[in-house]
Amino acid sequence: MRYWSLIFALAAAFSVGAFAYAPFSPDWWLPNTVAEPGHVVSKAGREIDALFIIILWLTGGVFVATQAALVWAQFRYADRLDAEGKPARPARYFHGSQRLEVIWTIIPAGILVFLALYQMSTWADVKFRSAAPRTPVLAELTGRQFQWMVKYPGPDGKVGTADDLFTVNDLHLVKDETALIHLKSSDVIHSFFLPQMRIKQDAVPGMTIPVWFDCDRAGRYELACAELCGWGHYKMRGDVVVHETRAEFEAWQAAKLAEQGRSQVGEPEGETSEGDRQ
Amino acid sequence: MIVRRRPVFGLWISLALAAGCSDADLTGPLAYEEQPGMTREVDGKSHLADKPKIREKARAVLAKLYGPNPKEIHVPEGAPFSKDESGTVGGLLANHLRTAEGPKRLPHAGGFALYRRHCLHCHGLSGAGDGPTAPFVFPPPRDFRRGLYKFTSTPNGARPDRDDLRRTVRDGLHGTSMPAFEALLTKEEIEQVLDYVTFLSVRGETELALIEEGFIGDDEDPDALEDDVVADLTSAVFGKWEDAADKVVDPPVARTPSSPESVRRGRDLFLGRTKEKLECAGCHGVKGRGDGKSFVDPDVFNRVVFRGDPSKMAERVAQLDEPTQELWKQKLDEWGNPLRPANLTVPVYKGGRRPIDLYWRIAKGITGAQMPAHYPGIDHAQIWDIVNFVLALPYQPELLEEPGVAAEAEAVRR
Repeated sequence: MRYWSLIFALAAAFSVGAFAYAPFSPDWWLPNTVAEPGHVVSKAGREIDALFIIILWLTGGVFVATQAALVWAQFRYADRLDAEGKPARPARYFHGSQRLEVIWTIIPAGILVFLALYQMSTWADVKFRSAAPRTPVLAELTGRQFQWMVKYPGPDGKVGTADDLFTVNDLHLVKDETALIHLKSSDVIHSFFLPQMRIKQDAVPGMTIPVWFDCDRAGRYELACAELCGWGHYKMRGDVVVHETRAEFEAWQAAKLAEQGRSQVGEPEGETSEGDRQ
Repeated sequence: MIVRRRPVFGLWISLALAAGCSDADLTGPLAYEEQPGMTREVDGKSHLADKPKIREKARAVLAKLYGPNPKEIHVPEGAPFSKDESGTVGGLLANHLRTAEGPKRLPHAGGFALYRRHCLHCHGLSGAGDGPTAPFVFPPPRDFRRGLYKFTSTPNGARPDRDDLRRTVRDGLHGTSMPAFEALLTKEEIEQVLDYVTFLSVRGETELALIEEGFIGDDEDPDALEDDVVADLTSAVFGKWEDAADKVVDPPVARTPSSPESVRRGRDLFLGRTKEKLECAGCHGVKGRGDGKSFVDPDVFNRVVFRGDPSKMAERVAQLDEPTQELWKQKLDEWGNPLRPANLTVPVYKGGRRPIDLYWRIAKGITGAQMPAHYPGIDHAQIWDIVNFVLALPYQPELLEEPGVAAEAEAVRR
């Protein structure tokens, strides 16, 4: 009956195989762009992924070691019967090994302490208000059931004035510039999630929370709500457009402002940004 | 698209389709809900309560024209739907086409499928605004079946232009529960949804027209609702939709650039200080907070509408004192839902914040609501002054805070 252990070995091998395969499949790996599945577009994303990989190696190593021990023990100590069909070796009971228990408590505790200390700077860079960039606010983003309302400061650079630009589910920023947004919620808790930039932050009613991120590839990305906020939660999806240059962003903003200022039907169309939608 | 979305487990997906998306778990077959006048007496409106034969004829006509149930769509001759990729009018409504050789798969999801996924939970299967989530949102979802829409570019009471519906689906209605679908649907999908909404509208309007026509007919008359009468009714319904594009109101005078003078002129118009004696403040309030005296007090309104079980709103209305109840009944929209004037001190505009949107609201009023048309009572330049004032007010609350302004407005209204 010792060959039963091979079933367990197979399950472990399958799991390890899945992780070994994952980095080569964009669908299995962490979300990145199609053109460069191995490249993380944001600075914080690269740090966070590095932490992910460290944790994956650590847990992977422990997993392989424990599975090997499990399979070996199953194989080595499978019950054996003598000629009369009775167990060849009676089971022996013992109280346990304090030394072993101490070892397998201290090693994981050490690993956890290491991780806790090692990730501190990344956490601080991504979340601490003191680390917020001293740049003008790109936009004020308010979650509501069920959409993201975006308010850009407009030409005067101040949010809350008459020249603000209003969009819904449409966030635009410039490549390689740190974007700072002020996150709000007007009803329940939502969560602002940029999967490709590895940014996730809850939007809490009554609070204005600064969130910052960057992106080193122009293109169109996804914004999602990552906190179940009601029956229309799935509707809270937005487009994030990263412009190649600031001039391009400003041209987009000017076109949108022209449309927002439309006073007659026949005026020239101001929607130049529609062209890049596929 | 840079973002990759691809089914990972093909097997799982197909199983999910078979298990999760079939209609097997429905309690009954899909059926359109009939308008009340079909079977019941409706006060002050046409109905077929006592005309069973005409009612059956009306049902048969509807089934023939638009299909017997939501899963089988018929496209009547001359219906105001757009063409699909192959030039078939109404092809965007469904995902299969019935042909002589059997069903033909169409290369799109179809308006019905998209509507079921994204819109039905509020607007309901028949477009009656009675979906499962409808009781929990305010303002309530639109009932499409009368062909009336609030935020349009066409004259008060006219059918909306397709562009109006497109804008509503794409950008949502700010300050209501209508979300923006631009990031959820492609342009082509939005067109399919628009066609289906138009379909539900013209179907509902035809139903109403049949009820009205049948109401004046004799139940024993074998010629009641005969083919040429029905053809006239439907062509009248379709005609209104086809005319909408030509009726779009384009301000003949460009907007007056916003200036302190223009804003002040707009404020004076708003407060009824000019010879036109506009009564904006009567509804929108002397401070623009939507708390004018002609309407139910906002605190009372909020208590009735938002505090408690939405299905028990009538009971809360019944507890109000007599004059408030009377006022409540007067301040309902065309669909019987309570109305409240916009609070102009916050920059939230349901019908859009572009000057042209506000021009439409002021010049031609809001279809189905109590905002009246102001053109030609005031001229285009005056409308633009009010637009400039409304756009400036949230950022310059002092416009209505100056000493004397409120007192004067009170005096004017008396």
